Amino acid sequence: MRPALLVALAVLACALPWVAGEAVVNWGLLVLLQVVVAQSWNLLAGYGGQVNLGHAAFFGIGALVTRSLWMGGVPVAAALAAGAVAAAVAGLGIGLPSLRLRGPYFAIGTLAMSEILRIVVATTLPEVSALPADLIAGYRLLPRYYLVLALAAVSTGTVWLVARSRFGMGLVAIREDEWVAETVGVDSYRHKLAALLVSAALAGGAGGAFGYYHLSFYPQFAFSPVWTFDAVLMVFLGGIGTVWGPPIGAAFFVLLREALALRLTELHVLVFGAVFVVVVLALPGGLVDLLGVLRRVRGSRPQPA
Amino acid sequence: MVRTAVLLGLAVVAFASGSGAAPAGVVRLGAVIPLTGRFASGGAQVRAGYEMAVEDLNARGGVRVGGQQLRLELVVVDDESDPTKTVSRMEALAQQDVAVYLGGFGSDLHAAAAAVAEKNRTPYCGVAFALWGIHQRGYKYLFSPFPKSPEMAIETYRMLNGYLLQDQRPRRVAIFAERTDWGREISNLWSVRSTEFGYQVVFRGEYTVGTRDLSDLILRAKAAGAELVLGVPTPPDGITLVRQMKELDFNPKALLLIRAPDAPAWSQSLGRDGDYTLLMPGWHPGVKFPGAADLNRKHQERFGRPADVLVGPAYACVQVAADAVQRAGSLDRERIREAMASTSLRSTVVGPVRFRPDGTSPVTTVVVQWQAGRQELVWPREFATRPLAYPAAPWRNR
Repeated sequence: MRPALLVALAVLACALPWVAGEAVVNWGLLVLLQVVVAQSWNLLAGYGGQVNLGHAAFFGIGALVTRSLWMGGVPVAAALAAGAVAAAVAGLGIGLPSLRLRGPYFAIGTLAMSEILRIVVATTLPEVSALPADLIAGYRLLPRYYLVLALAAVSTGTVWLVARSRFGMGLVAIREDEWVAETVGVDSYRHKLAALLVSAALAGGAGGAFGYYHLSFYPQFAFSPVWTFDAVLMVFLGGIGTVWGPPIGAAFFVLLREALALRLTELHVLVFGAVFVVVVLALPGGLVDLLGVLRRVRGSRPQPA
Repeated sequence: MVRTAVLLGLAVVAFASGSGAAPAGVVRLGAVIPLTGRFASGGAQVRAGYEMAVEDLNARGGVRVGGQQLRLELVVVDDESDPTKTVSRMEALAQQDVAVYLGGFGSDLHAAAAAVAEKNRTPYCGVAFALWGIHQRGYKYLFSPFPKSPEMAIETYRMLNGYLLQDQRPRRVAIFAERTDWGREISNLWSVRSTEFGYQVVFRGEYTVGTRDLSDLILRAKAAGAELVLGVPTPPDGITLVRQMKELDFNPKALLLIRAPDAPAWSQSLGRDGDYTLLMPGWHPGVKFPGAADLNRKHQERFGRPADVLVGPAYACVQVAADAVQRAGSLDRERIREAMASTSLRSTVVGPVRFRPDGTSPVTTVVVQWQAGRQELVWPREFATRPLAYPAAPWRNR
């Protein structure tokens, strides 16, 4: 991506709360939150080829830990860090056994883990977690927006760095062929485990930000498989295994969904699904391919004399 | 490339930012309702109530604000039964100058929505949730002309005592408590209130939503000699419960389930086994409050049946909102909130409405019973379409 465009985007993102209304800032926050979730999933699946179907578990753990600590009086930065660490520890718990195996075991294991956690949380914490009136009186969207913006920058920066590092090349080698990667000296188990830890910590951070942002939700909601599958959709929509695919996918996904919901009262889910199918069929490499396709179309036209 | 991206971005922002401020001469009511997802069927009833009320009020000239007749305008947005989408879409409505928020369906969506209303300092009128706990958080902008758990618990026993003589009453009570905040709240209230009405809780067990096997609870209630069974199951859990009660031949004299028997699916899936079940849906088209008959007629014309149980309360919400705007004499949300807090309406389709400081309202709590595949109003007695059928017939004789 061109530096000029990057700077323009960064300025736009930082200036948004000063030029736009609360609803637009809220959309911005949702987009950036999904950028973190999608980017963290992309790191492991897009580069390492490890399909995590239980990403919601890390998001949920981050949300639960951060929100309980923060509402209990711990400063939000410490609570957020605790949430990310807790999610990484959970990543270690599932990764240590399942990443040693090849085949679908990691996908099955993560899916099972997140569903077990969701049911346990629903059973043990059945009460809605709503902010009391005094906390709502002091609620400001601005710090939450900048927090999520920082997380989105960190996650995208992490993926950018990984994509350019020896570690990232090792991951890509594993994705392409794990046996071959091992024979050329890549320790596939350690690579996968390290990528999972970073991915889980980022997802936990996103969950923590969600717990800090959201006024009221049932604890089990943060463990809903929606968080996994929305991330998967956004990554494929934008372009899997790329740095800029997930942010583009997240922006397209959230903004289109909200815009349609406000305009088409009942049909919005249907229209959204149809647009989605068209995009995936037309751009199998994701939306990041759009500019390349446009350039090719333009290039194939007869040039004016 | 930069130019293309900027243009694309601007187009998306322009498309996303919505239609903006309300035009002059209009009072905008914003409703975020679950029209798709798990709460879709309840959300559809709520929406129908809002729409019919807005039509009726506009046909009568709308509302009078500061010497000017203003038309009501309803903006309905779907939240897909997802509280995060409830929040973002409530924020989007705030940008469109809504004077009053109208609520959706289900306590988790209401809890999220009421918090947004509180933050945006916009009055919020919601029905279709009985969770009293939301009202105990100190919110000042939340109003709900809908029966809550405390009234439901009291009316359960009051209805039974109103119909039955001392020696007929089902004194031994079993409570099947759903492991949710509402399930716990109302189970506690049923326990606390039982003694003062002469009842005794002989068994109380908790189960998780979506449980396939309730036989342990049923057998323990049966062993304890329970004559009255109380619970707030979801529709699938309620159907499971009745089927397993029949299999295990547990035949209490009365069964009161809140929520599960509300929908017509109850008698469709259970047939005669669904009869005798008592329910507290919050309203019934048989109530004889002013406007209810008209509402039933219009609903009959449009949907081929009298008003559904949530249509009435939703209709009343719009009546409350319109009255508050009119008395506030302005579109200032703070003044509308004050006016709504001092509501004293004698005639809405749910009866008289005024609000307590916590935003709840002492509205009439109805008890309905499935009789011969129909929902009959049995309580309050002056509105009853049929008397209480009691005790429940043995399963084999239905």
